[in-house]
Amino acid sequence: MEQILATTLRSAAPLVLVAMAGVFAFRAGIFHLGLEGLMIAGAFATVAVGDTTGSVELGVLAAIGVCLLLSALYWWVIGPLGANVIIAGLGLTSIGLGGTAYALGAIFDVRGSLFTDVVLPRPVRNITEGAGVIVAEHSIFVWITPLIVLAAWVVLRRSRFGLRLAAVGEYPFAARSAGVNPSMVRLQAILIAGALCALGGAELSVGALRNFTENMTNGRGFIAFVAVIFGAWHPIGAAFAGLFFGFAEAIGIQSQINITERVPREFVLMIPFVLTIFAVWLGGLWRRRSLEAEAGYAELREPDF
Amino acid sequence: MTSGLRRAVWTVVLVVVSFLITALILRVSGYSVGDVFSGIIQGAITATGASTSSIRWAIPLLLIALGVVVGFRAGFFNIGGQGQFYMGACSALAISLGWREGPAGLVILCGTLAAMLAGVLWSLFPGWLRVRFGTDEVLTTLMMSFIGALVLQYLTAGPMRNPQGTGQTAASERIPEAFRLTGGSGVSLTVLLLVAGVTVLVWLVLERTRFGLTMTLVGRNATMARWQGINVRRVGLGAFALSGALAGLAGAVELYGPAARLVTGFSPEVGFTAVVVALVGLLNVWGTVVAAIFFGGLQAAILFLPIVTDLPPPALVLLHGMVAFLVTIKFRAVRRRRAAQTEATAG
Repeated sequence: MEQILATTLRSAAPLVLVAMAGVFAFRAGIFHLGLEGLMIAGAFATVAVGDTTGSVELGVLAAIGVCLLLSALYWWVIGPLGANVIIAGLGLTSIGLGGTAYALGAIFDVRGSLFTDVVLPRPVRNITEGAGVIVAEHSIFVWITPLIVLAAWVVLRRSRFGLRLAAVGEYPFAARSAGVNPSMVRLQAILIAGALCALGGAELSVGALRNFTENMTNGRGFIAFVAVIFGAWHPIGAAFAGLFFGFAEAIGIQSQINITERVPREFVLMIPFVLTIFAVWLGGLWRRRSLEAEAGYAELREPDF
Repeated sequence: MTSGLRRAVWTVVLVVVSFLITALILRVSGYSVGDVFSGIIQGAITATGASTSSIRWAIPLLLIALGVVVGFRAGFFNIGGQGQFYMGACSALAISLGWREGPAGLVILCGTLAAMLAGVLWSLFPGWLRVRFGTDEVLTTLMMSFIGALVLQYLTAGPMRNPQGTGQTAASERIPEAFRLTGGSGVSLTVLLLVAGVTVLVWLVLERTRFGLTMTLVGRNATMARWQGINVRRVGLGAFALSGALAGLAGAVELYGPAARLVTGFSPEVGFTAVVVALVGLLNVWGTVVAAIFFGGLQAAILFLPIVTDLPPPALVLLHGMVAFLVTIKFRAVRRRRAAQTEATAG
């Protein structure tokens, strides 16, 4: 049981970090399906630069830099250039997945996995028994994730930027009347999202593990996005949804070890995706209560050709 | 220029730009763009069997992309073609392995129908959630895709695994040779006629039938369509069903054509590439045919490239991503007009 809870925290941390990215994007009115691509780009940049320089800090900084750059491009394409948000987002995901796998071969001349010695610091270690196991061996990012969630909440609820973001996401015309440039506010939100995805990716590669593997995000960016909808695009709600999906993943991992004989592994791996459909369905029901929200939401995903 | 022609030219420009950016990335990371380019030409057109291989890869892309076009017409993003394709292939495989002694024609017919039915079911569930509850279909079709990939993995590693198989990756048994519509090349007159027939049929349905027209109306403005007395839900379900049937059919054609057996995670990119194909084809049936042949050629080329260069194959995923990232960028005049419209309606 302790082991499952510990695995839950470890699996949930990247999901929650990326879900916070999704919250910022969603609040700005952007249906951000590029989270997966940013996350894997962050994971790769951390390992690539971290391993080359031997410094995990430089790796994380590089990851943030790469994700900020990609996010700025994403903003440029969907904002000033008017590309479709969903298609460009999926394109960004493919650029991330394909680009990292390509770079793995082109730069490091390996296929599959790149192992590294650099690892994020782990504040609490060497507890092997009792309830302490739950909190032991987690990277520093797992510890700061709750702080980031709280910070996101405060920024969205209390800061000038958060209120502007809400205005831009809900009714850009009103925001413009009030002298706010929606495009610039969206850029800021997308950049924040990019940096958070970099942290999520770094946690995945050098926090929980010590390697980068092709396609290692394995749909987590999408699951984090669903956590945003499940959590009603509230940071706390999205964080709990992320925790829940982390729990589902932990059960999956545990039963791979224990009950593989009885339940085929693939069915256990399906759990997060099935839950996700259920969550989107529930989230949709919840959303429909507010007609206004629905109108705003429809605008986001309207195919515009 | 007519607006249709201008859109076509603009799309070609965007695709070329995506290629140039990708070429620049390859150049910077030390590959000779000239070698890669001549490798692509050889692998797609000039080398022995290259053009056949291009057509072979264009076929599943075309069928799935036509499904995407149908979905878009009615205003839906069916991006779960991958899962529908897998489920179609699995169903056809189950029928073909379960009824080995059956008359070939009948087995292929049943297998194909089963494949289309599986595709329909796999897309109709998210479709039903969409029209009944307003559940966002972008995410649900995507999740159904992940689930479909796991079902394929389960079947090829478990119940349908080839017991004699020794390879690292799980693969099913081969279907009897009598059931195959093509040789290993994946192209034969039967398959070409089938695909051409289906393409014309989809065009007829979209452009010449009442169902196609109502679908377009629903896609343009669902509220308006509802006021005109169109049963929006039924039309939406029809669009999802047709879309899934086409992806399922692609799975059957893959099995009875080039594959003959199923391997875990085969053609992993085909579903997403089909979305790109449909967009590059301007969501128009004939445009999609051209785009499918183009991207089919690219797929054939990337499989050929390792022979002439040491380019890592994921470069193709990068390229597809780049095209998707850029291809929906609007022409400047369109952008300005749309901005003016938004201002006007918001005001």
